[in-house]
Amino acid sequence: MKRVLKGNSAVAEGVRLARAQVICAYPITPQTSIIEDLAVMVSSGALPAKFIKVESEHSAMAGCISAASTGARTFTATSSQGLALMHELIHWAAGARLPVILANVNRSLAPGWSIWTDQNDTLSQRDTGWMQVYCQSSQEVIDSVIQAYKVSERLLLPTMVILDAFFLSHTHEIVDVPDQEIVDRFLPPINIPFRLDPAKPAALGNLLYPDLYMEFRRKMDLAHEDALNVWEDVGREWAGLTGRSYGLVETYRCDDAEMVFFTAATAASTARVAVDELRERGVPVGLVRLRVFRPFPAALLQNLLSGRRKVVVLDRNCSYGHHGIFHQELKSALYDLPQDKRPHVSGVIAGLGGRDITVDDIKEMMTLAWDGKLGASSWWHVLPVGEEEPAAAK
Amino acid sequence: MVRTLAELQPVSLSTQSITAIRTGTWKYVEPLYLDKLPPCSHLCPAGNDISKFLSLTAQGDIESAARLIRSGNPLPATLGRVCPHPCESQCNRVQMGGAIAIHMMERFLGDESLGEKFVPSPAASAGKRVAVIGAGPAGLAAAYNLALQGHAVQVFDDKAAPGGYLRTGIPDYRLPREVLDREIDLIRAMGVAFKSNFRVGRDAAFAELRQQFDAIVLAIGFHRNRALDVPGENNPGVYNGVQLLERILSGGRPDGIRRPAIVGGGNTAMDAARSLLRTGATPIVVYRRTRAEMPAIPAEVDEAVAEGIPFHFLTAPVRVVIEDGRVTGLSCIRMTLGDPDSSGRRRPLPVAGSEHVVPCDSVVTAIGETTDLDDFPEELREGWRIAGDERLATSLPGVFGAGDAIDGGGTVTAAVGCGRRVADVVNAFLVGHDLPVRAPRVTDLWRRGLDRDHVSYFDQLNTAYLRPELRPEIVELPPAGRTGSFAEVVQSFTSPAALAEARRCFVCGTCNECHNCYYFCPDVAIHKRRGELGFDIDSDHCKGCGVCVEECPRDAMVLVEVGR
Repeated sequence: MKRVLKGNSAVAEGVRLARAQVICAYPITPQTSIIEDLAVMVSSGALPAKFIKVESEHSAMAGCISAASTGARTFTATSSQGLALMHELIHWAAGARLPVILANVNRSLAPGWSIWTDQNDTLSQRDTGWMQVYCQSSQEVIDSVIQAYKVSERLLLPTMVILDAFFLSHTHEIVDVPDQEIVDRFLPPINIPFRLDPAKPAALGNLLYPDLYMEFRRKMDLAHEDALNVWEDVGREWAGLTGRSYGLVETYRCDDAEMVFFTAATAASTARVAVDELRERGVPVGLVRLRVFRPFPAALLQNLLSGRRKVVVLDRNCSYGHHGIFHQELKSALYDLPQDKRPHVSGVIAGLGGRDITVDDIKEMMTLAWDGKLGASSWWHVLPVGEEEPAAAK
Repeated sequence: MVRTLAELQPVSLSTQSITAIRTGTWKYVEPLYLDKLPPCSHLCPAGNDISKFLSLTAQGDIESAARLIRSGNPLPATLGRVCPHPCESQCNRVQMGGAIAIHMMERFLGDESLGEKFVPSPAASAGKRVAVIGAGPAGLAAAYNLALQGHAVQVFDDKAAPGGYLRTGIPDYRLPREVLDREIDLIRAMGVAFKSNFRVGRDAAFAELRQQFDAIVLAIGFHRNRALDVPGENNPGVYNGVQLLERILSGGRPDGIRRPAIVGGGNTAMDAARSLLRTGATPIVVYRRTRAEMPAIPAEVDEAVAEGIPFHFLTAPVRVVIEDGRVTGLSCIRMTLGDPDSSGRRRPLPVAGSEHVVPCDSVVTAIGETTDLDDFPEELREGWRIAGDERLATSLPGVFGAGDAIDGGGTVTAAVGCGRRVADVVNAFLVGHDLPVRAPRVTDLWRRGLDRDHVSYFDQLNTAYLRPELRPEIVELPPAGRTGSFAEVVQSFTSPAALAEARRCFVCGTCNECHNCYYFCPDVAIHKRRGELGFDIDSDHCKGCGVCVEECPRDAMVLVEVGR
């Protein structure tokens, strides 16, 4: 059924359709309306789940871990400081191989205090063992939440479904909300093989000596390797049911593109317009939008970008001291290409703290890159201050 | 043994018991279940184990609750009606819906246990004989508890029937005679012998009694009315409040009292005023201080006000106005309140030139009572009271005191508590034990060895687990219809109401097996005892984290330091 939903409501609808059994969350702007919607669904009976109120995000994740350990389908949502506070247990959920689904509305970390979007909160959780899916539209949000349950429960890995603060979380769009019957066909009831059972007492997460710890971690890494295929399989199955398909990445006008603009999340929608406008001016540019960041689809990106002249990466994040994070990751993945196939990769950091990234901004980035004025380091696109020149121009 | 990654399950999981790891060695504090006193029991002058009887009632076991309450208190049906219930003043429920109506619960359990099957079985006869002089609440409680301990008890009283002030001073509308009679019948059924119309000094010398009995308990109460000490006091038409009340309560209807002025602000004044109202008179009350300083039970004052009795506060009598040998008024002076006196209440001071006459046709004096020790040896007297020490013993071997006459406790409940305490001391004397340094506190009688400093007040409860619930309304006969007779004003709880009220009790300070400790223990170190009440702490594995103590809703656990 077509409905007008904001991104946060799309998350909640996805969780309802996935028949989550335990929701354990703590409110934080701009995520709060997700769990408010869910609370209404639980209290009205629309979602027969247990909603556990807690005093912090740390406890929210602890609640999800506990519930998932008993075999329940779980959900939580958070943002920014809340995700940072969860960090210890974010590791635990992955290490315990619990398919918890978390929706994170990307919000900048303080100080200075900010409620607006950037990606440093989720990217700070890069190495925890969670899968990360960056969404671009409310439709993709609802579909990704439902898919995430299927992928996570198959692999026993948790997933963060990620959406930009306000640009997506609070923007209303037409969304095709799938029928429950379709979702039920796609997503079977949860069945976690290793769970707390009073009839079979066992300690989960027990002490592991050096002779075994690494083996478990390798298993987790292997599950991430499998995940690349599972996301694609699950995506195809979903496309068969709904006609909507999302891969690990999305490409736009890339076939003959000599330069590829690379970004994630809602900035990609803006970039699509910029691509069209530059194409009209004869610049052979295309767009690659990264959807699944963990596992990182390195081989796919190598194939896709092999032989291109230039790649310019737009990061709404920064690893202070070394580039934007997507920039780093992509550059490192492309290093494996033979030298004559390896594109020049430059990067731009923009839109931190919720600053708007306009079509003109992206056109400027693309033009500077096409004209060879962006170097290998990430250039801070500082507007309207505008004092900082691209490194290559100096 | 796992040889390949494929064979390895994804989740690290151990089915080995962790009990081999003695995490208990880490601790420097450990939890302890400690039955603490709830504020109600701490404040109960009669020594009722209140939270326990409420807990049993809440479980639907009314019989056990009633047996518990009668295990040392022979008058629950009576006390439930007449006690000013200090227990309720600091009930931890006050902040969360209103205090438990403890007095109504005591009354309910008392009424439910007026049959002979509720008479406890006395211990085997110890072959000792005890005389209890005075069949009021202190004497009855002493007799009951001494009989329980296997002694032959003879109660002497100078009135026509036992009960003391309960019979002669408390009107039926507060305490129906039938209730008192049935509670006394139960004491009789335990083997206590009563001799009425017997006055020491008239019917036998005190020395004779000492020869006939192994011990004597003097529980003679306060029955002598204090004098007003104003001119005209000895005229006809001026009545002694205690005697007048006794006359009305035994069925007498004094003539010529139409517009009495009752002088005083205590229970006798209230009882006299309200009883006279019920005989058709139009009483007024004259009191030299204000409502706030009145020593009467506040509920009684409320009821008197509700019944329309006018109060003249800050008014003190100076002279009874007599015309033609008849009382025509009470000349009074206005008072003002000065600094607090020895009672802690503000001292009334006369206002010069404020004399005025309050019209009345009779005056009832009710400004307090004192002990009548005229017929007892000089060495037993000390001012208004029996000369006794902290053990309730007098200087005469084997002679003890109880009740108002020795401690001036002032309420029926204090008298019952004192009777229980003296029974413990007399028993020690009779069986040849050393007397204790002091008489036990009433709560010592049922919680020996408890650290008395531990009272579970509100701030020690974990209110996250406790919900506000409203105190039920207590039904009274409407004031308009009740003053025409001596019918009981306050109505009893029904069984469902009593059960619901018992369930409101937090059971402060005592484990009621809510299992919070068991659920919260992160080390699975708390185990439910099989087949009996309570939990055991596995000291080998308890790390002393204190979560159980924190999460105990009712302060029934403490953390104590242990040697490292």
